Amino acid sequence: MISEKTLPYWLLAPSLVFLIALFAYPFADAFIIAFQADGQWTFENFRTMADDINFGLSFWNTLILVLIVVPLQLAIALTMAMMLTKIRAGRDLVLYVWTIPLGISDLAAGVVWLALLSERGYINTALSALGLLDGPTLWLSYETPVALFVAVIFAEVWRATAIVMVILVAGVQLIPKEYNEAAEIFGASAWQRFIKITLPLLKPSLQTALILRTLLAFEVFAVVVALGGRDLPVLMGEAFLWQFDYRDSGVASAYAVLILLISIAFTLVYLRVLRVKEEPQ
Amino acid sequence: MAAGIYVDKVRKVFGTFEALKSVSLDVQPEEFTVLLGPSGCGKTTLLRIIAGLETETSGVLKIGDKQVNGLPPRDRNIAMVFQNYAVFPHLTIFENIAFGLRMKKLLNSEIEPRVKKAAGMMHIEHLLERYSGQLSGGQRQRVAVARALAMEPEVLLMDEPLSNLDALLRLEMRAELKGLLAESRTTTIYVTHDQVEAMSLADRIAVMHGGHIIQYDSPIQVYQNPANEFCGGFIGNPPMNFLQAERRNGHCHIAGAALTAPSQGNGRVTLGIRPEDVVVAEASAADHLSGHVTVVEPLGPHNLLTLSVDQQLFRVTTAADSPIRSGQEVHLALAPGRLRWFDSESGQALH
Repeated sequence: MISEKTLPYWLLAPSLVFLIALFAYPFADAFIIAFQADGQWTFENFRTMADDINFGLSFWNTLILVLIVVPLQLAIALTMAMMLTKIRAGRDLVLYVWTIPLGISDLAAGVVWLALLSERGYINTALSALGLLDGPTLWLSYETPVALFVAVIFAEVWRATAIVMVILVAGVQLIPKEYNEAAEIFGASAWQRFIKITLPLLKPSLQTALILRTLLAFEVFAVVVALGGRDLPVLMGEAFLWQFDYRDSGVASAYAVLILLISIAFTLVYLRVLRVKEEPQ
Repeated sequence: MAAGIYVDKVRKVFGTFEALKSVSLDVQPEEFTVLLGPSGCGKTTLLRIIAGLETETSGVLKIGDKQVNGLPPRDRNIAMVFQNYAVFPHLTIFENIAFGLRMKKLLNSEIEPRVKKAAGMMHIEHLLERYSGQLSGGQRQRVAVARALAMEPEVLLMDEPLSNLDALLRLEMRAELKGLLAESRTTTIYVTHDQVEAMSLADRIAVMHGGHIIQYDSPIQVYQNPANEFCGGFIGNPPMNFLQAERRNGHCHIAGAALTAPSQGNGRVTLGIRPEDVVVAEASAADHLSGHVTVVEPLGPHNLLTLSVDQQLFRVTTAADSPIRSGQEVHLALAPGRLRWFDSESGQALH
């Protein structure tokens, strides 16, 4: 029964079963729940979602957060990856230190930044000790939405830039050194080599990193909850709220479907804009 | 406008490894120089230092009258062909060839004719709209050369440009390059480990070994009068034969022959002679070697004999219709004037 031809499928089977049971099924289930109320097919859940006072706010908060965080992370990660190509001794050590945040869960990351930024946190203490602040100052409240927003951006950049960097570092290593040397010989400055050679050849890695990071950025939740509670509503936070506080799976699922649709839309845009030409060998 | 290249006492140290040990070259304008040597001899390092991709530890470097130490590659008026072609995969062939011209900020009206001319010289006009992924290795090689020619550089640097091509294509490209570069009259430095390529292309060969230039001379001089045993052994296929000789009363004795000793040197000496300068003789004579044929290889144009002479390996080429068979004892006549002597200790040529 198990022949050389069927062996690959047997080896794939466990992971397929696992994904269908624990991913595809709940996913389809959520989809059905989103479009049903009282056993009837309906858009009622989406209407409730859209009419909710926090919906617009959470939608725009999430979108703006993604539009600031992802490009910022990409720029920082690119800079880090390029800097790594320039050092020889201690390169691995720097890489390991930079990737430390990858090992921390997002809730823990949020708690770390809470400890730094709360009323009696490290930053307030340090600033008052230096005489730059009169006393404990509130950063993370609904009265200081900009400061709260900036804090979330900081925490997200700190927490999740490393994954982008790791993908880009791997991509940069795949580019043969001769391309850059040829560009140098033929007159390109360091900046021109980066723009005209490295970036285009890095496209596949940029695409992977952008898709991965954008999808995860739309699901931003734990860091926001840890730092702002409900003072900074985001889409995933609303889904959580409807599911566990309001006990309305229908509306929670509607949020989930919305996040999915936005994610698919962004992925399609990336695939289109950063498409890599299929070249026959 | 071709420029000369002047390299004076250039050293290069990587960590604790001394890749180049005080190397000097004086390449004339329009001259074709080949840096020849086995891998690790420093030839590519020297080329990369001239290109500006590597920084010399010490020494002086001039292109034309201009000292170029410390200048980036783009200020050296050079072009280079890389071993792996380095044809940019994300640009069309046209844009690849135009790359250097665009960096010089030339107008489109100047770029197009120069790209077309360079593409024409390499016979790749029909490929200009394609990408490198759609090209064969030989075609990519042509693009890499065209990109360099389009720059109309003072100096053209080539790093083993033919080594990734198959044997037949290499032969074809070699002849084509020779014609083309002679026509363009560009000063060229060409790195290779292939001694046939070096012999075929060079005006002068710089034979490199262990970070030194061992010999810097015309191909025929390098072939006929190797500066040391290494040069004689590295150039020529099959390589030069070497036999240990014993020196007594102004003569050198090897395998029953007594040969006139070189005037230089006192210690032990080694005889060097090329396989084609030895003839299998009918009868013995005082200056003939005697040997035992171990292998006969018919190669088509001639036969290659492997012999044991005084328990030392010796090779001779004979006519294809030669009746000599393995196992035979033979007498070997050495062409007068073709004998070369080397100091057995240092390997240096003696005269």
